[in-house]
Amino acid sequence: MSALLEVRDLRVRYPLRGGFVDVVHGVSLDVRRGETAAIVGESGSGKTTLAMALCGLAPVSAGEVRFDGKALAQDRSRRLMPDRKRLALMFQDASGSLSPRMSVRRILAEPRHIHRVATVDADREALRLLSLVGLGEELADRYPHQLSGGQARRVGLARALALDPDLLIADEPTAGLDVSIQGEVLNLLARVQQETGLGILIITHNLNIVRHVADDMAIMYLGRFVEQGDSRQILSDPRHPYTAALLSANPGLDPEASRSRIELIGEVPSLLHRPRGCEFHTRCPRARETCTETFPESTRGAGARTFNCHFPMGCLPAKP
Amino acid sequence: MSSPVLEIRDLTVTYQAGHGRVPALRDVSLVIPEGSIVGVVGESGCGKSTLISAIIRLLAPNARIAGGEVRFKDRDLLLLSLEEMRSLRGDDISVVFQDPMTSLSPVLTIGRQMADVQHRGAAGRRARQARSRQMLERVGIPDAEAQLRRYPHQLSGGMRQRVAIAMALMAEPSLLIADEPTTALDATLEVQIIRLLQELQRDVGCSILFVSHHLGVIAELCDAVVVMYAGEVVESGATHDVLRNPRHPYTQRLLDCDPARIAERTRVLPVIAGSLPDLENLPGGCIFRERCLQSFARCAAERPVLSGGSHRTACHLPEAAA
Repeated sequence: MSALLEVRDLRVRYPLRGGFVDVVHGVSLDVRRGETAAIVGESGSGKTTLAMALCGLAPVSAGEVRFDGKALAQDRSRRLMPDRKRLALMFQDASGSLSPRMSVRRILAEPRHIHRVATVDADREALRLLSLVGLGEELADRYPHQLSGGQARRVGLARALALDPDLLIADEPTAGLDVSIQGEVLNLLARVQQETGLGILIITHNLNIVRHVADDMAIMYLGRFVEQGDSRQILSDPRHPYTAALLSANPGLDPEASRSRIELIGEVPSLLHRPRGCEFHTRCPRARETCTETFPESTRGAGARTFNCHFPMGCLPAKP
Repeated sequence: MSSPVLEIRDLTVTYQAGHGRVPALRDVSLVIPEGSIVGVVGESGCGKSTLISAIIRLLAPNARIAGGEVRFKDRDLLLLSLEEMRSLRGDDISVVFQDPMTSLSPVLTIGRQMADVQHRGAAGRRARQARSRQMLERVGIPDAEAQLRRYPHQLSGGMRQRVAIAMALMAEPSLLIADEPTTALDATLEVQIIRLLQELQRDVGCSILFVSHHLGVIAELCDAVVVMYAGEVVESGATHDVLRNPRHPYTQRLLDCDPARIAERTRVLPVIAGSLPDLENLPGGCIFRERCLQSFARCAAERPVLSGGSHRTACHLPEAAA
């Protein structure tokens, strides 16, 4: 059976003063029904642009997006509408993505209006959605500024579920939430997935979350995937030095961990000046001469894992 | 033991809101010994920001300090005149804020802003510029001379935070208050900034009050930690005591919820059910009682006091167990 979402060599290119910048630089991934895939990366790696491109909100310059076996129209025309209905987006800025002038009730009714879905009882529908995400009826008449961060997040999810989508793209669903309630949002996603067989694509920078929710994952750096595959495998045995660095950068409560930490030097280079060779070599503690010259081809590791590195972790001693 | 740089005793701050009064901080006490890094952890609404504003006396106009004292090197900051307070800020007490983009002026060059910070000294223009360059180099900014001519928007987030730290440490303060300085940064940069703060603290010898909601960062950086909930200190002590052996149910639950601490993959993550109490109508008794899984009759009747030796907690449970 083909995957629910198949992305092949997708590129997003923006024109820029006499040139262009490739924000997403040829990525491929699958999301299957009832499963969760995660895209992990730091600011500016292109995660959000990728999510936007999948929804037709950013221009795709090359590559293909197939949704349920059918190529997704890549323009903002009405042709996209029937498919857009089955593909929902939960925005990163939860309160910012809710119109301040609409009550929660109206926010939840809007998707059906836009897609002209006949609704017998709009009120009942709004209450159904609220209870689906564990919110009380009393919230229906509130406005976004009267909601807490966690509540706004849930309303965003309820709206995303309004049209019973097959695929949900959740952009940083827990960013800015306190630890004591970020579990609520993730548990909710897992419950809805179990009940409806929803495919979920989570975009996040939080590896701890990925460990608990994702079946597959991809690590993004400067618009490319540097490592991707089964999330358990990657998290227990990262092969790309960037993945390893991200994993060890995660300050935990174990003081031992900081001693074996792989510390990166410098910051993410500008997309306007992609480094030659391996694009990670400017920050990589394992980089050698080859890395500054040749782009590492994709290597297939154990299982279905792939990574792009000349000197992957666990292969050669680090820098001589 | 040397005398503390900062000692807060029973600080209570109240906001006037609409018809009611919101006691945002209630009897908060904490001590920062000289040369140490003390972390304040807590989630939204715990009073972290009010605490910082109270220390530097920059509270909102509708806030009132209802009681307590804030002793900084044997002077009660709450009794100082505005003039005296102003001469301390940026000189003996500095702050690094969460978002350097909002604490740096977008219309002035880095060099100009760093020179302005030195308005107190008698140094001339050249000397100030040299000092600025030196500070930038010290916080690990490459090509410091050129950066002085640039504007904040031309620097990356990590670089901007380094500039903010350089400016805060320029006057070699005795106390640096860092308000979630790594929250807006990516994980790999977060590590770099923590390292930098550790190094600078050693060099400059200042004490740091480090406010964060990130337990991992606190564990890595701080000598002691103060856990706050809904405007009260619920637990305090040496970092490894509090994080390895938490005594207050809130601290325990908070640690349980951190997905970094859950080794086994799980589809159902723990949460702390319920929400913060309404501060305008305090329920009485223990502030965490309504969300606590172990509460009993006494918790509703009597507010627990922060007690214990070096590892203190505000909870009736240890006594009940004894």
